[in-house]
Amino acid sequence: MNLRTWVRTLWGLAVVLNAAALTMIFFYAPVEIQMGAVQKIFYYHVPSAIAGYVLLFLAFLFSILYLWKDDPSYDLLAYTTAEVGFVFITVVLVTGPIWGRSAWGKWWVWEPRLTSVLILWLMYSAYFLLRLFSRHEARAARIAAVVAIIAFFDVPIVHKAIEWWGSIVHPKKVVLEPPMRQTFFVAMIAVFTLAAALTLTRFMVGRAEERRLAQREAAP
Amino acid sequence: MNYLRVVALIFAKDFREEIRRKENVISSLLFAFLSLVLFAFALDPTQVDLNQTGSGLLWLIILFAGSLFMGASFRKEMETGTLHALLLSPTDRSAIFLGKFLVNLVFLLFLEALLLVFAFLLLDVQTGPVLVPLAAAWIAVTVGYAALGTLFSALIANVRGGQVIYPILLFPVLIPLIIAAATLTQDALAGRPVYTSQWLRLVALFDTLFVTASVFLFEYAVEE
Repeated sequence: MNLRTWVRTLWGLAVVLNAAALTMIFFYAPVEIQMGAVQKIFYYHVPSAIAGYVLLFLAFLFSILYLWKDDPSYDLLAYTTAEVGFVFITVVLVTGPIWGRSAWGKWWVWEPRLTSVLILWLMYSAYFLLRLFSRHEARAARIAAVVAIIAFFDVPIVHKAIEWWGSIVHPKKVVLEPPMRQTFFVAMIAVFTLAAALTLTRFMVGRAEERRLAQREAAP
Repeated sequence: MNYLRVVALIFAKDFREEIRRKENVISSLLFAFLSLVLFAFALDPTQVDLNQTGSGLLWLIILFAGSLFMGASFRKEMETGTLHALLLSPTDRSAIFLGKFLVNLVFLLFLEALLLVFAFLLLDVQTGPVLVPLAAAWIAVTVGYAALGTLFSALIANVRGGQVIYPILLFPVLIPLIIAAATLTQDALAGRPVYTSQWLRLVALFDTLFVTASVFLFEYAVEE
């Protein structure tokens, strides 16, 4: 199977799985007794956070590989995973306050996990700003890779610092009813399939852009 | 040539250049002083006890004025072609980084010392009795700040819009350091223990990690 077929299959799966996840969230999973219907945002909030972190971790790995091997396709992979990861942590930052408003009574709480995601979001905003200012330059790719590596090492320290500085609101361990657990499981697979489909699509777009650029440079 | 001698030579060259050119040093120091005056108006020191809340503000000033200084440290080298010459010379590139890092470190410490004097004179921040633990904390924080500041300055030297990107890129990464700096300063001013503080250990970890990472990554940052 070539890449295009893979992407189509993944998109098909993503649509079906997300439809299934949404159906389960609204018609199968029970309403949580304390937080009510708003708790249902959990089924997308948490998987998005995990998917975002996994993608940004991949961006870190591809950045190292790029500096090491000096192969432009690693740079494209780093850029792709960073961009899709950025979208997912943006989802976390939007859904978090909506949930927090009813769970904690405030839109925003300076709490370690949410604040770490915010700071990570700020670091990657700068990363994309850098890319925006210097499109398609090998130099910029190298700089971006360095930034991604620094950001990765910084996140645990950020988390520790905010933990000491602020308060802890996120529950350490959550016990879920079986229907909730099943719904969460399906939502998790749905979000990860969507993430994979988006990443591969973005990768194909990136490759097409590079081909177009090469053609334009080759033309007299 | 001996490695440390190369570092010392690059440090001496940059240090002399900054002193002779003056513009960079003076503009950063003036900016810091101006910010201190502005903060006094914004906060009204007769109402707010700056020994309690001033610590974070002092660090914001150091952050802004310091980034003004460090952000320029590679740009002029790029413009005049000095960096190319340095990169061509048969020396370890990390020596170039360390020389620059030391210049930035010395300048930041000088800026901080002046700021403390003026914070005492203008805003009555009582720094005298706790000077030793305060200095220890600030030096520890400044090492990590100068390391990342120097690395990022090298990164953006050749990028269009580098001056704009520099603080946006640098500040989020420094957030743990700033929280630590503000807390340690507050603790020191209040006479609470500094040397045994968990925050000082966090700063030590930050310094070790990012000085090492900067020395290592600098080579990739300036590669042509």
